Amino acid sequence: MADKKVGKKDIAGLLEQWSQQFAVFAPSKESGVAAMAEWDGKDISFLDWYRNTVVPPKAIFLPPMEELFRFQKGKEGYNIEPPPKDKHKRLIFGVRPCDARAMAILDMTFEQALEDPYYLSRRKSAILVGLGCTNPCESCFCTSMGTSPTDQTNVDLMLIDIGDDFLIEEVTAKGKELIAKTSGLKGATKEDEAKAKQAKETAYNKVTRKLDTEGIKDRLLASFDDEEFWEKTAAKCISCGICTLLCPTCYCFDINDEMVKQEGTRFRSWDSCGFPNYTKMPMENPRQEKWRRVRQKVCHKYEFYPMTFNVIACTGCGRCIRLCPVNWDITQVIESVPARTEAKK
Amino acid sequence: MEQKLRQEAKALLEQNKVDWIIGFEPGSLKFTATPLITRDKNDTERLIINPFIVNNLADFLTGIKGRVGIVAKGCDSRSIISLIQDNKIVREDVVILAVPCPGLIDLVKIERLAGKDRDELDDISRDGDKVTVTVDGQKKEFAINQTLFDHCLACELPTPQEYDILLGEPGPPAPELEVSGQNIAKLKEALPAERWEFWQNEFSRCIRCYACRNACPACFCQRCFVEETEPQWVMPVPRWQDNLIFQIIRNIHVAGRCTDCGECERVCPVNIPLRSLAREMYGIVDELFSFKSGMDKEALPLMAHYEQEEAEDLFK
Amino acid sequence: MTVADTNQEFFAQGNVYLPHIAVIEKIVEETPGVRTYHFNFKDEKLRKEFTFQSGQFAQYSVLGTGEATFCISSSPTRRDHLEFAAQRVGKVTNALNRLGVGAEIGFRGPYGNSFPIDSLKDKNLVFVGGGIGLAPLRSLIWNVLDYRDKYKKIDIVYGARTPADLCFKYDLEAWDKDKTVNMVTTVDRGDDGWKGKVGVVPKILEEVAPSAGESVAIVCGPPIMIRFTFPALEKLGFKPEQMLTTLEKRMKCGIGKCGRCNIGNLYVCRDGPVFSYAQIKDFVSSEY
Repeated sequence: MADKKVGKKDIAGLLEQWSQQFAVFAPSKESGVAAMAEWDGKDISFLDWYRNTVVPPKAIFLPPMEELFRFQKGKEGYNIEPPPKDKHKRLIFGVRPCDARAMAILDMTFEQALEDPYYLSRRKSAILVGLGCTNPCESCFCTSMGTSPTDQTNVDLMLIDIGDDFLIEEVTAKGKELIAKTSGLKGATKEDEAKAKQAKETAYNKVTRKLDTEGIKDRLLASFDDEEFWEKTAAKCISCGICTLLCPTCYCFDINDEMVKQEGTRFRSWDSCGFPNYTKMPMENPRQEKWRRVRQKVCHKYEFYPMTFNVIACTGCGRCIRLCPVNWDITQVIESVPARTEAKK
Repeated sequence: MEQKLRQEAKALLEQNKVDWIIGFEPGSLKFTATPLITRDKNDTERLIINPFIVNNLADFLTGIKGRVGIVAKGCDSRSIISLIQDNKIVREDVVILAVPCPGLIDLVKIERLAGKDRDELDDISRDGDKVTVTVDGQKKEFAINQTLFDHCLACELPTPQEYDILLGEPGPPAPELEVSGQNIAKLKEALPAERWEFWQNEFSRCIRCYACRNACPACFCQRCFVEETEPQWVMPVPRWQDNLIFQIIRNIHVAGRCTDCGECERVCPVNIPLRSLAREMYGIVDELFSFKSGMDKEALPLMAHYEQEEAEDLFK
Repeated sequence: MTVADTNQEFFAQGNVYLPHIAVIEKIVEETPGVRTYHFNFKDEKLRKEFTFQSGQFAQYSVLGTGEATFCISSSPTRRDHLEFAAQRVGKVTNALNRLGVGAEIGFRGPYGNSFPIDSLKDKNLVFVGGGIGLAPLRSLIWNVLDYRDKYKKIDIVYGARTPADLCFKYDLEAWDKDKTVNMVTTVDRGDDGWKGKVGVVPKILEEVAPSAGESVAIVCGPPIMIRFTFPALEKLGFKPEQMLTTLEKRMKCGIGKCGRCNIGNLYVCRDGPVFSYAQIKDFVSSEY
């Protein structure tokens, strides 16, 4: 079956239609920062955005904070009240390929060993509608990280900008099923498909930042104890949490309790390996020094994640470079890791 | 100015007058500079001075061991003085390489003016009171006051008062002060309930990355109160109430130390107008104590000394 | 066994993050600052069916204050109740310290792998412990002693800073009396009444000099002791594969998600807490 297409001016109608069935999320600046938010029924200005959202779409599945459960203390002791079942079916519209790949990377952690019911219940019922990039940024390096501005691998449907329309690529069975039930779409012509092919090539070539990750796992392993290298690398880092909290593949979280009178809540919230407290134990802290924390961040993404899941936990979205208060640039750091033979062991 | 900086910095390291040089080198993205912290004299060749040297480098002083040669704009120099007054650093351990600062260009303002993302701009250049932005070969000119950071428009000390080496001629006094206070004035006119709603909304998107705290030279506590667990002053979760309390207490803690350098607001990844709070506190401190942090190197640290005759009202 | 093998039957209400409620049945003051808590589940069915293995840990909570990680310090061979030991050092352990017998706590677990008990059979076992680090070892030691004939020689080298800091003194006495066990107790600094050895654990271990052949060393104590014990064992001829340890790191989730307890690519909660030195030697020097 041939691909479908949808007019750019018909996107609001399409989202309206999908809103009947799903909680539709789309990029928005309504909150004061570019993030995925529940679609307000009209705003499609994000179609003209130059950049990706500041807050990655992971925030829908792993929100900055959430209640794990509530509890009450009564005469009979504690009562644990499980969280309400998540009934939403979400459709996330306008996911960029880098962020879609990041979600697939996050799934590995939340699915492995014991499943994380909170993340997975939201994630598994969700449909991702990707939006191909036409204007990759200066900080983007997705093409070096196993994806591309128009990569459809990790979404259910992919939209490619072909001028007045978006070509809709049906990627998964879930995506196909949704399209079959969607009205008002037009059939794409051979010409549209040619335009899409051209758009993909153009976007691909616009990604100029390159990162050679060949052998990076081994180089990092060999450099693990190279304190001088890591101290130099970490020198200008101010240990804030921007590059981790807003990284689409970072998932670390904290768990904390709060109790007011006899009513309590256990929260989970984003945490960062950049914070000294993250690993602090009462008697000592294995990562008190900044360089150890910077090393952890780099190695987790480029060494440990590949060792465990055979994939680098970075998709080249460039947020960490763009948002960093001191312009600490992961691509420069990865490139400066000493080659195996140079590394001090 | 850059050439002189490079020579002086190199000489300081060569003559073993300092252990470190802290300055700026070109950043990895267009229109950015990045802090350069080095012991290597060859690195001094990369030092730059331009309208994009946005960081307050004094932030690095408390975390570094040894003598430091530091590039300082007016605001940075005020933070350095404040740190000296608080005994966080020793004057003799710092060589201040003073930059007469004509103001820093705010890329957010440029994007708004040009209607383009910074990535799409070919060039931004400044000549006196004009800033020229080139997009697709087209030049657009803007008045400097439209393009500088708010805190630069409010700058009371463009050229460091305290320094060891002055790079270039002292610049003119600050431009229009009132422009910087527009947001704050608007907030002050609002009803308390409206203001409350405003801040509730703003702090709802705080993610507790602590960039505001970590970029702030005045936030030098070894252990921040938000990390205390016994007692737990605020919950370590990004809930708006806790976020707001965190920021209010932070503001109180840096009162008399904050130099209105604007870093808290600049670094915030979710665009919370933190300088409005900081600037208001800066004004309150001035009003109550006639004190502006880092302006007078002979002054005693405001919050670390007490004079019997002053501001009794505060404690009643 | 890894955390993936955790019996999901034990999840409270099917959700790995929900705790079970347990009741403190007895509190033993081990040292000033260290207590052992005896506890049992409130739910009768769980009380009967719950199983675990030596070396596994759990997330214990004082609800409203938070969770902390402790190993189960009692032996799976003695299941009328469960035990854990906690040193008063932080928010949760201080809150625990305020609890008395009958108080309710939260419990999630058991998590993590366990000591490879089957592969210890017919081996000489060398237990090396320091301070409260004896807690996971004593679970295994009692487990082994309850099936004594399956194992060969047993050496226990245990130390603390001062005689007052020795934990589980009732165990130390019992093992000292046990003719089938070579029990060596040491302190860094003795006092007037102290008759045992004086010296840090790795040094005393070298004096005791257990033979490496057919042996497995099981080490647990403060990080500094662990770091110096491995080289001492290597000097005695132990190979990295013959050295086991159980590590402690700050943990939140206990199930390999929250990120903070890694040593290199290994998570203490997911891949441990029991590791052979061979597994962690690349990272342990600078990450533990």
